[in-house]
Amino acid sequence: MRTKTRARRAARQLYRLCVVNGALDEGRVRQVARRVAASRRRGSLRILEGFQRLVRLDIDRHTARVESATPLARLLRDTFTHRLERRYGPHLTASFRDDPALIGGVRIRVGSDVYDGTIRSRLNSLAGRF
Amino acid sequence: MHLPSPQTAVEGGGQIASIARTFGVDWPHLVAQAISFGIVCVVLYVFAYRPILRLLEARRQQIAGGLANAEKIKAELARIEAERLAVLAKADAEGQRRIEEARAAAARLGTEQMQKAVAAAERVLALAHEAGERDRASLLADGRNEIGRLVVQTTAAVVGKILTAEDQQRLAEETASQLAG
Repeated sequence: MRTKTRARRAARQLYRLCVVNGALDEGRVRQVARRVAASRRRGSLRILEGFQRLVRLDIDRHTARVESATPLARLLRDTFTHRLERRYGPHLTASFRDDPALIGGVRIRVGSDVYDGTIRSRLNSLAGRF
Repeated sequence: MHLPSPQTAVEGGGQIASIARTFGVDWPHLVAQAISFGIVCVVLYVFAYRPILRLLEARRQQIAGGLANAEKIKAELARIEAERLAVLAKADAEGQRRIEEARAAAARLGTEQMQKAVAAAERVLALAHEAGERDRASLLADGRNEIGRLVVQTTAAVVGKILTAEDQQRLAEETASQLAG
């Protein structure tokens, strides 16, 4: 139990070392991961697991997945990117994807936040009411 | 009162002597026999008649005692009969009371059983009603789900075809405005 707590604490410290100006530094992350993996210290695997989890959560928090039924126009993509950066900070990465199953509208997922304006979600909500 | 004259008495004595001679009476022999007879009578009186009298007296007393005993036994029998009748009457009354009690208990038990049966029947009815309601609700829910699925399926198929590029643009802008807000 104490080993686990210690590993978590160490993973958090390593993660903080990798954050530069509020954004995760990819180079530092790689370096840290390599060094921890190379070290033969006891509990290094747990530390690495905790570190990986924190990095994954950070990436999720700073990645916006925008899905739309039809391809979005350049102007609209820029609008989304601009507004997402304004809300979540400048280090956000937006990825766009087309999914005809959504029928119409756009769905955006940032970390655990979801903005769903798709026809599919409305129809699912309608089906739920039945 | 007419008294015989001495002539007549002499004549009478002669007549008796004449009769005695006719029948062959021997006066000394007759007197001896009379004395013997008296002695026999006395002996018989002392040794036979008096014991028989005593025996008869004892017998009479025994009979009187027996009769008294019989009277006593009769009275006792009457008392026992009265007691028997009283006991019978008491037993009859007790039996009647027990029967009444048993009837009352049976009636009470019958009422309780009836109430229990009615309660059980009501419970069964309620359960059946609940089960029916559940089935009905389940059927309705299934129907609603099926209708919903069909509606969604049909709507999805229709909407996918009728949405224009402008509609898609408008929907995307709605989401963008959510981000702005």
